[in-house]
Amino acid sequence: MASMNKKYWKGLDHLHNTEAFTAQANKEFSEEVPVEDFLAKQEKESAGTSRRDFLKFMGFSITAATVAACETPVIKSIPYVNKPEDLTPGVANYYASAYYDGMDFANVLVKTREGRPIHIKGNKGGFTGGAVNARINSSVLELYNTARVQEPWLNGEATTWGKLDAKVVSELEKAKAAGKRIAVITNSVVSPSANKLIADFKAKYELVDHVTIDAVSYDAIRTAHNTVLGARVLPFYDFAKAKTLVAVNADFLNDWVYPTAFTKGYAAMRKPETGLSKHYQIETNMSLSGSNADVRMTMKPSEEGVVLAAIYNNIAAKLGGETIAANVGDWKQKTAKIADDLIAAKGSSLVVSGSKLAGVQEIVVAINKTLGNYGTTVDINQPLNIGQQDDAAVAQLLKDLNAGAYGAAIIAGTNPVYTHAQGNEILKGLSKVAFSVAVGEYADETAANCTAIAPDHNYLESWKDAEVRVGELSLTQPAIQPLYKTRQFEDSILAWTGSADSFHSYMKATWKSKHASLGLLGLADDFWHQSLHDGVASYSSAAPSYTWVESWNAGNASVAVKALQQKASENFEIQFYHKVGLGAGNHAANPWLQEMPDPITKVTWDNYATMAPADMAELGLNLEIGQELPASVVTLSVGSEQIEVPVFPLPGQASKTIGLALGYGRGNNGENIGKSAFQTAENGDHKKDVNGNLMPIGVKVSHLQQAVNGSVVAAAFGAAVAKTEKEYALACTQTHHTVMGRESVVKETSLAVFQHGHKHEYNHEHTLPVHSAANGAEDKPVTEVDLWDAHPVEDIGHRWGMSIDLSTCIGCGSCITACHSENNVPVVGKDEVRRSRDMHWMRIDRYFSSEEEKVRKAGGDFDYGLMEEPEANPSVVHMPMMCQHCNHAPCETVCPVAATTHSNEGLNQMTYNRCIGTRYCANNCPYKVRRFNWFNYKAYRKFTEVNPSQDEMGRLVLNPDVTVRSRGVMEKCSLCVQRIQAGKLDAKKEGRPVKDGEVQSACAEACPTNAIVFGDLNDKNSEIRKMADGDRAYNVLEEVGTRPNIYYQVKVRNAEHSEA
Amino acid sequence: MQKEAAIREPLILGHKTYHDITNDVVNPIEEKAPKTWYLLLAISAIVGMWGIGCILYLIGTGIGVWGLNKTVGWAWDITNFVWWVGIGHAGTLISAVLLLFRQKWRMAINRSAEAMTIFAVMMAALFPGIHMGRIWMAYWVLPLPNQFGSLWVNFNSPLLWDVFAISTYFSVSLVFWYIGLIPDFATIRDKVTDPIKKKAYSMLSFGWSGNAKHWNRFEEVSLVLAGLATPLVFSVHSIVSMDFATSVIPGWHTTIFPPYFVSGAVFSGFAMVLTLLLIMRKAMHLEAYITNKHVEYMNIVIIVTGSIVGVAYLTELFVSWYSGVEYESYAFINRFSGPYAWAYWCMMTCNVITPQLFWVKKIRTNLFATFILSIIVNIGMWFERFVIIVTSLHRDYLPSSWTMFYPTFVDIGVFIGTLGLFFTFFLLFARYFPVLALNELKTILKSSGESYKNDDAH
Repeated sequence: MASMNKKYWKGLDHLHNTEAFTAQANKEFSEEVPVEDFLAKQEKESAGTSRRDFLKFMGFSITAATVAACETPVIKSIPYVNKPEDLTPGVANYYASAYYDGMDFANVLVKTREGRPIHIKGNKGGFTGGAVNARINSSVLELYNTARVQEPWLNGEATTWGKLDAKVVSELEKAKAAGKRIAVITNSVVSPSANKLIADFKAKYELVDHVTIDAVSYDAIRTAHNTVLGARVLPFYDFAKAKTLVAVNADFLNDWVYPTAFTKGYAAMRKPETGLSKHYQIETNMSLSGSNADVRMTMKPSEEGVVLAAIYNNIAAKLGGETIAANVGDWKQKTAKIADDLIAAKGSSLVVSGSKLAGVQEIVVAINKTLGNYGTTVDINQPLNIGQQDDAAVAQLLKDLNAGAYGAAIIAGTNPVYTHAQGNEILKGLSKVAFSVAVGEYADETAANCTAIAPDHNYLESWKDAEVRVGELSLTQPAIQPLYKTRQFEDSILAWTGSADSFHSYMKATWKSKHASLGLLGLADDFWHQSLHDGVASYSSAAPSYTWVESWNAGNASVAVKALQQKASENFEIQFYHKVGLGAGNHAANPWLQEMPDPITKVTWDNYATMAPADMAELGLNLEIGQELPASVVTLSVGSEQIEVPVFPLPGQASKTIGLALGYGRGNNGENIGKSAFQTAENGDHKKDVNGNLMPIGVKVSHLQQAVNGSVVAAAFGAAVAKTEKEYALACTQTHHTVMGRESVVKETSLAVFQHGHKHEYNHEHTLPVHSAANGAEDKPVTEVDLWDAHPVEDIGHRWGMSIDLSTCIGCGSCITACHSENNVPVVGKDEVRRSRDMHWMRIDRYFSSEEEKVRKAGGDFDYGLMEEPEANPSVVHMPMMCQHCNHAPCETVCPVAATTHSNEGLNQMTYNRCIGTRYCANNCPYKVRRFNWFNYKAYRKFTEVNPSQDEMGRLVLNPDVTVRSRGVMEKCSLCVQRIQAGKLDAKKEGRPVKDGEVQSACAEACPTNAIVFGDLNDKNSEIRKMADGDRAYNVLEEVGTRPNIYYQVKVRNAEHSEA
Repeated sequence: MQKEAAIREPLILGHKTYHDITNDVVNPIEEKAPKTWYLLLAISAIVGMWGIGCILYLIGTGIGVWGLNKTVGWAWDITNFVWWVGIGHAGTLISAVLLLFRQKWRMAINRSAEAMTIFAVMMAALFPGIHMGRIWMAYWVLPLPNQFGSLWVNFNSPLLWDVFAISTYFSVSLVFWYIGLIPDFATIRDKVTDPIKKKAYSMLSFGWSGNAKHWNRFEEVSLVLAGLATPLVFSVHSIVSMDFATSVIPGWHTTIFPPYFVSGAVFSGFAMVLTLLLIMRKAMHLEAYITNKHVEYMNIVIIVTGSIVGVAYLTELFVSWYSGVEYESYAFINRFSGPYAWAYWCMMTCNVITPQLFWVKKIRTNLFATFILSIIVNIGMWFERFVIIVTSLHRDYLPSSWTMFYPTFVDIGVFIGTLGLFFTFFLLFARYFPVLALNELKTILKSSGESYKNDDAH
């Protein structure tokens, strides 16, 4: 060690450590460096900048220069001074609420993140059983529509609430003083509090008429019941009890009366294991309900009465009762089986009809009465409060408006100028009213023609209550502060009645009195809080007493049937309907709904006439619609009206009829209802007409609806169709219509075969011949023949999977929009959809049956070309399709950069930031579920008018848990991995395993029929495990060997082969 | 010196001396280029620039400017890729395989064939790059050590094999070609008088002095590289074919693909060589070196490979029926009777029927007929790739996703653009590079030259 410390002296001075040496050694430079001389020259004495100072200055200057060069981004974020209770950044809050727009109702849960509603799902504890349709779960996007009226308007100018209120009150007083009447026009008010409020308003202004105008009138059903029952009731139809169901032009799964509840009930009877109802649908257009029917027949709108009369007469012939005098023709024989089935299911059968003629509805009542369905499937003890429109009252209003009897009008929550067949009359009438105020979210066709607009809250900003069905109370609560200077309708009425109360407290008071009057147990406050928490409250009241007429007189019925029959002609008949996406048109500016393909035609972003292909061939119209194969445009002449529409060939459309959707052509006169309601050109800009106005999507057709016997029906008769030379591109997500007899894609069977209980008869396993030492060859199931080692996911940890029941899936598409909302799926607009570049992670494949498939099944010689043609009245399969999360995923092996990989929980994961976009994975996907970001959807100008994420407000709807994908990467269903992670985290925090059903994918949650079951396949007791092990379970394209984690359940039809 | 059988036709016609050969090859480099050359170069360059413009638009905007869709994820991009790679097969085959087999007739054509190979592979390599959604991340396909974590490429993916195959093939071809050029550059260096050209060629010739040791090394390296390049000729297109063969898509998932693709590649490569040489021969007066016999030899290769391709087509059809696999048989029924039947029959006509015309000696020795047929073969081979890629994808397993593919102007622009760039490169080559391997040719002058064979040399 000593040698290590050997010291070398620099000289003798060092050794002796002289003073001179120490002094020298402490100096940095042996000689004086004249720094100050050259730095300071003359100022040497005064300034005295030392070397250290110089270095300091230099250091500071360089740092300052560097810092000045970089601009620190200024992020203005204001932290909560006090953290609001129940608001943790990153944790979602759910509020029980209810959606009601006059047409749809559902109890919902609103998911909010950091105070923004971002997702709507069904409230399973609600009266609609958690069922929502696409219109309802997409409604969250409408909250952020910038086209909403953002402040009060008076005489075409923005004003303040104070001025508006003063004006309204003075005008109302003026009308009252002048002895003129005041009209309050609303949609069906189902809110007990609002009804009370309107009563208060009436009391104050005396000469007030409250008239209900709905988008759809159910007056016929109410009138029919009035005739036979003495009460204008709209019964509740309990589809869950209907073993035999006959629907005549009633699309109860989509738009008829109370679709959410009906869908839920219907689904309960569509499980082959627990009993499958027999569903007959007789209709003109191929409707959503019709596509799910076991037996579907076509009829013309003019046959609506005859069909029901035939059914009734067949039943009456067996069960007794007055027959209807009508020439039923071959319908007698065609409906014989239906009548037999109805009689066989006496007391648990149901007949519904969408007819707008009271006489025809009387037949329906008579059938259900004869079959003893009242009290079981038809409930008049707890009837519905929706559909209150009284056609006679509306007619009277129209007359009085035009006679100038009204001094003021308040129009709220309804858009009669657009939806009503006599919208133009209403418009004329309104112009004769001295002062009209519209209460609504948009300056729509009606509001734009009113003197003032009192902008309404979105329902997500409002307090509301609702009693859609007697005894079933629901609450709507605000989930966000009002975005604009709006005020909800009820608060406006309160202000105009001169009350200083808020509707919130008014409503609480109503509930308190309700609590008292119903004699409910507990405290009124507890009742309120519990109801607010649950979103619902129910009570039972004494059944109202009805007196049925002694014997039903078939006179009205026979008149109505004949009146309809007389409308038949050689010409076409038009049946109007509502699209599953747009409804009555109030969702026209919702890009999610515009892009959601129609469940039947798979067309997006458009309105079109549907016609039977055979009729189209006769007229020489284009039968093939595709990217570069546009639809032919025809001129439809109805009476004096003419419109031009493209025609879509729809198998299943009744011969010589046309289907035409209401709800399009919004903003015809330049009303600003939202940018997505207008047509866009190929470059994404709005199309403009010669006058520079935006062009609405589709045409308005409500005014084409004709009256029969004085009642407006959803049909037009004697329509002439003339081909034009024009062509019009339609954007379809699916251009091929049959499944080509591919039984490993869609497996279906009849109930009879299913009930034999032999799985191989309807769900046989695929086998492959393999070498065997013993026999030379043997057949082995494909699942046992594999090149690859299995992923170690079986029985270890989680293995997420899904089951999709083809029997219960009705194809409604609410899963599509739920997925859009949950996963920030971009909206790409019509032109991109036309180019088959829709981005839906979840899609629903719709297959029509073809005649040639039957030939093939029978083992005959078949022709693939013919198999591409659907039959004239096909049976339909709806097949939800998304990433199958294959255990041996073809996409995973081909990615050069391993951007798509398998998780140890059985998920096929997509790593966006690793993806370089070779699209090899998409090519190699047998299910074609991968979606490529062809453009930068969140910034490229082509998508400005359609994609919510390009909109300042629209992007507030984005789910912060999910990345918005960049250009050039692949994306696809992740099985809502963000929800899985959140669920696992919750369970981990509580130190327990994940419970079955706790984690739900957005689609499974949105499915109104519970056709989609999500869960952990490794959980032996889970619902999904049971489904996957069931006899009906199969993997699509099992023989390809991809081993998906998504199982499908064989579709079982309750039909004999001769019927299907 | 080798002796050659007298019955073999001479490979160099006329009374050529060593000096003549040098002059014939180097004079065009020294002289001013003809007007037609400038014209052709201008046209090619403009078309090439248009293609580059389309590519920039593509990269700037997104892959959506092509006509691809959710079902057809590859169309013209990969069709062009495979087509160009295929064309790039002839050069190496001629120079490497024929060298190993001691086919002397290769000497007149190998230089330009190899140049064509290099340029074609360059065009081909463009497509895997620009077809990526995020080309700026293209380097991720290389197994580079990185700081992203334990990220590594996926060795299971045929696309990755492609990266290796193409880059290896390109580098070996380039080196092989360049080594062959060195003595010829030296000859030019010695001959040209222009000081700039002299400087340039002396740099390019790497100080070649032509001594015996140089020649010895040259021969050895050529042989070694030929040995290396030969397996590559077969591997590249085998691996390209595996992009399809290893997939699960009916019509792609076929074990016949590797040999079928290789013969198709040679087939199209020879056709492209013929197209180019027949023009060059005329324009640069090389009739003495590129003789009818050369053309005939190449046409024979075309008959052979074309027939292999034809057999492969029929085998595919047979197997699709014989396999009994529903999807497989439909894929082929759809090819010949579906919406893209026109492309299938175009392919069949061009690739199976037309090359059979070469059985007729009159046709295979007729230069004009050869020229036309060579173009037809390349059209057919483009359609072959289009048929394989697009018609397999557009109707695969789930009928719900069946679509059509329609090209946009960008699809067309990029393809035409690569043709423009290719010809630009080739024209520059023809002008500044020795278009014949003149020093190699000199080695066969005395054995295969007409005048020496006929013993009437002066």
